[in-house]
Amino acid sequence: MIKLYDYVLSVNCYKQRLMMDILGVEYESIPIDFYPGLEHKGDAFKKINPLGHIPVIDDDGFILRDAHAILVYLAAKYDTSGLWYPTADPELIGETAQWMLFAEGTTNTASAARLHVNLGYDFDIDAVRDGAHKLFRVLEEHLWFREQEGLGWVCSGAHPTIADLAIFPDVILSEEGGISRLEYPAIKRWTDRFKRTPGFSIMPGIFPAGPG
Amino acid sequence: MTQDLPQRHVFQGKLLGRELAVWRAEDEFVNVWENRCLHRGVRLSIGINDGRELRCQYHGWRYANRTAGCTYIPAHPADAPAQTICNRTFPAIERYGLVWSGEDPSGELPNITVLDEGNPFGLRSISVNAPAAQVATHLLEYRFLPPGELGEEVAIVSVDQQNDLSVTLTSVVGVVSSTAVFFVQPVDAGISVIRGMLSEVPADETRIAVLRHHSTELSRLRDRVEAEAASQPPPEPMVAAIEQVSVKLSTFPKRSEGHRAQHRVQVIRKWSSGEGIMAFELESIGAPLPTYQPGAHIDLHLPNGLVRQYSLTNGPGEGSVYRIGVKKEPNSRGGSSCLHETVREGDVLAISEPRNNFPLRRDAVKTILIAGGIGITPLLAMAQTLSRDRLDYELHYFAQSDDHLAFGSILDELGAGVVRHLGLSPDETGAALGTLLRTYEPSSHMYVCGPGPMLGATRKIATEAGWPDEAVHFEYFKNTNEVDDSRTFEVSLARSALTLQVPGGTSILEVLREHGVPMPSSCEQGACGTCSVNVLDGEVDHQDVYLNDTEKKTGDRMMTCVSRAKSDRLVLDV
Amino acid sequence: MEEMRSGIVEEATLLGTLVHFSTHAGDPMAWRAESGMRVGDRLEPAAVTNPLPVLVAYGYVWTSLGVPPKQIFEIPEYAEPDRRNIHAATIGVSCSAPRAVENFLDMGHFPFVHTGILGIEPHTEVAEYDVQIDEKNEIWATECVFYQPLAAATSQGGQMTDYVYRVPHPFCVLLYKSCPLDANRKDVIGLFVRSVAEDHIEASMFLSLIDDESSDSAIRRFQQTIFAQDKPILENQFPKLLPLDPRIETPIRADSVAITYRRWLSDLGVTYGVIPAA
Repeated sequence: MIKLYDYVLSVNCYKQRLMMDILGVEYESIPIDFYPGLEHKGDAFKKINPLGHIPVIDDDGFILRDAHAILVYLAAKYDTSGLWYPTADPELIGETAQWMLFAEGTTNTASAARLHVNLGYDFDIDAVRDGAHKLFRVLEEHLWFREQEGLGWVCSGAHPTIADLAIFPDVILSEEGGISRLEYPAIKRWTDRFKRTPGFSIMPGIFPAGPG
Repeated sequence: MTQDLPQRHVFQGKLLGRELAVWRAEDEFVNVWENRCLHRGVRLSIGINDGRELRCQYHGWRYANRTAGCTYIPAHPADAPAQTICNRTFPAIERYGLVWSGEDPSGELPNITVLDEGNPFGLRSISVNAPAAQVATHLLEYRFLPPGELGEEVAIVSVDQQNDLSVTLTSVVGVVSSTAVFFVQPVDAGISVIRGMLSEVPADETRIAVLRHHSTELSRLRDRVEAEAASQPPPEPMVAAIEQVSVKLSTFPKRSEGHRAQHRVQVIRKWSSGEGIMAFELESIGAPLPTYQPGAHIDLHLPNGLVRQYSLTNGPGEGSVYRIGVKKEPNSRGGSSCLHETVREGDVLAISEPRNNFPLRRDAVKTILIAGGIGITPLLAMAQTLSRDRLDYELHYFAQSDDHLAFGSILDELGAGVVRHLGLSPDETGAALGTLLRTYEPSSHMYVCGPGPMLGATRKIATEAGWPDEAVHFEYFKNTNEVDDSRTFEVSLARSALTLQVPGGTSILEVLREHGVPMPSSCEQGACGTCSVNVLDGEVDHQDVYLNDTEKKTGDRMMTCVSRAKSDRLVLDV
Repeated sequence: MEEMRSGIVEEATLLGTLVHFSTHAGDPMAWRAESGMRVGDRLEPAAVTNPLPVLVAYGYVWTSLGVPPKQIFEIPEYAEPDRRNIHAATIGVSCSAPRAVENFLDMGHFPFVHTGILGIEPHTEVAEYDVQIDEKNEIWATECVFYQPLAAATSQGGQMTDYVYRVPHPFCVLLYKSCPLDANRKDVIGLFVRSVAEDHIEASMFLSLIDDESSDSAIRRFQQTIFAQDKPILENQFPKLLPLDPRIETPIRADSVAITYRRWLSDLGVTYGVIPAA
């Protein structure tokens, strides 16, 4: 069974749990005392990941780190439908890669702001909040036009991809970092849609959607 | 924007510093509410729109479509919420693909001729971090190209019309023109939203390109305004005052009082719904109909002067009309015969607020509903609620025959939850009840409504099978007991510091009213529970059919319309 | 204390004032951030000319910008030898201190916010309970019971769980909960709130448990999960400051302890983090 080195309040660990829940993949969560224990910075954990961060997965001896890389692996290996990581379609896979890089941006801004507020991480809070708003404006316009095209996801297919899954947690928890989403109605509709994906699961701080 | 309000979604908006929760119900009604639950101030925009009600995320309070009245408080599942727990609502009108609302709107909405005569086409709304007036000024210099001429470099743009927060522009390239109307929504002192529309829908093949053109150009305009606004001192945010709730609500909610027929309704549909049963659909002709809860009834004031109580059969969120069922009584004293024979579609009748003395708990692990004949009406409302909440329930409907079943279409919708028991003799009915009540499981509740003898039998069977009184809920439509009102006694009113004589032939209720004590009442025959008061001292002679045996033995409540004193004196908490 | 680095200057904001603190020979010191030392510097005790009062209690350093009482409220359980005292986390929240305290006093939200852990629908009823203010002017809510699914790892299905709530300080609140391992004793869970600003807090969670099975990190994980579930509620309450005017919100019987708390804050004259009644 896949082992996930995990922390319940980590956005990036949640991305892995969510992917595996949606794909129906069984996994074992190995809890890391991220806070206050800082176990991920300890010598024992650095043998697993010398960079000292989570998540990391161990799939029957194959060890992989970095949240968005793990999503690529999980979808490529376990999604038999080929929809979450759509390698069959060059344009779609290009878009997916593009928006996965966007998710690095939301992680480094919106989720950084959350770490600053929740746990006192040392970030320039005004800069990361501004950065998040800039990205959210781009995402808002993009998703609004997707709806106009009769589509609902960040890439141009009819089905969500790992790019939606990678961006969603950073966005839905942004208010914990003091980033209001009042100005982003198309983003709110997209989060509602994403919450209704079959297999969707929550983490503390996220409420499930009501009946579709 | 209308397009911001899909089904099962709650839009978070803000106008003049006040946050709003805006949601569309299944019946397409657009609700604009203050974005805070009255209970603990939690934003309703994080709540759940289930199509008919909005559920607060914090304690699960439910608020009805249209009225915003609270229909359920899960922490007190045995109580009906006070009628007056109602979120602050603002009026809303949909026009030109926009939802218009305001704090104290006065007058009419502006008529925009080009939009009235044209075919409005909504553009993407653009949020701007700048004051509304500044945004409106910049919009006068907005430049855009007409659909079909998007490849051009330059267009001549003129200002057709200009108000405080709106501007109409026409762009011309050669013989091609396009008119756009922009409204600036003042979100807060330093935040605005540009909501724009074209007067005509562009051709399908250019639709997306036109939308992109405006989105791009308006975003550029936004960047200019924001750069300008950033160089000025930021304005103080607006403060939206919070309206106080009533003094009554600020302590503990009590049931509403009064025996008045505040509402006027029109019979918009009357139809035969089963052998000897007429169904009526009543629509308000004044203020919207008040919030109701499953189990509630209304007083219906008939043209012949009689007042009768009827249970609402409505499911949750169907608040635009009230639906009742009336059985023709063979020995009618004028109530049911008047409704069957005299009242027609189009007639106007007076009704009271809905009152709920038969509230439905929604914290039961299993709920058994037992209806005898026309007793189905309150139980239909309950069954629809339980079914929507996906709670475990059974509705057992005892009737003479298939033809005697009322509201067949609702029964069909409920599907497998309904068990029909047709044409049973009293003994067979008793046996069937014995089977379905044979074991009591903790956290189960049963509700029964129907003819008096059947209710009596059901309650007896339940008690024998081990059902505790608090799990057995019943509603009598009438009190068939002979009321003995011969005794004379005294009542002391603890709170009003009054002592009054109650002579034979007069009820406590009547004596209280004569002395100016306002008392709610409804059926006035000891069946509905509306005139209940708490008893502080003295022994009560219970003559009602509303309280159960345990409650009667406890003796701390009484129905003032029929019950009297065994002791010489009663002290009431009035 | 366990998060402090010995002899290194650290900072925290208290009521809008930046405070520096550190330990010197094992004893804590705190002072207004005006000594010339910066965060991360080695402590130079002589540079602290104007120290703030400090005391150590329950594993935390307590200080005050004013003149505090000599003693802090008592938690006798802390000293019981067979208990485990655990600091679960300090987490920042954009809300006022009394909103966080009031949420901690609330059972009605368990099925909706802590679904499947502290409560579950349809078991939503909050039964009547008692609220009193004792001779030390502390609020006690007793005889509280609420249905908890999987109340203990050993139990199949849910059961009614007993709670006692205690408010010994405007911004500190304690909960005594049925102990699964010893029917005669209660586990203690505390929430100690430091107001960074009127609408921003850092809340510390403290536990004193009778439990020799769970690991510290498992206990912390549980407590952090619960608190993180409350966070979006606290951050979405409006107004952010707690209104003491009884006509701003609508209480029900289940809120008896909250109503007492609001009146008590009014009577104490607390003005920070609240909207005083007119």
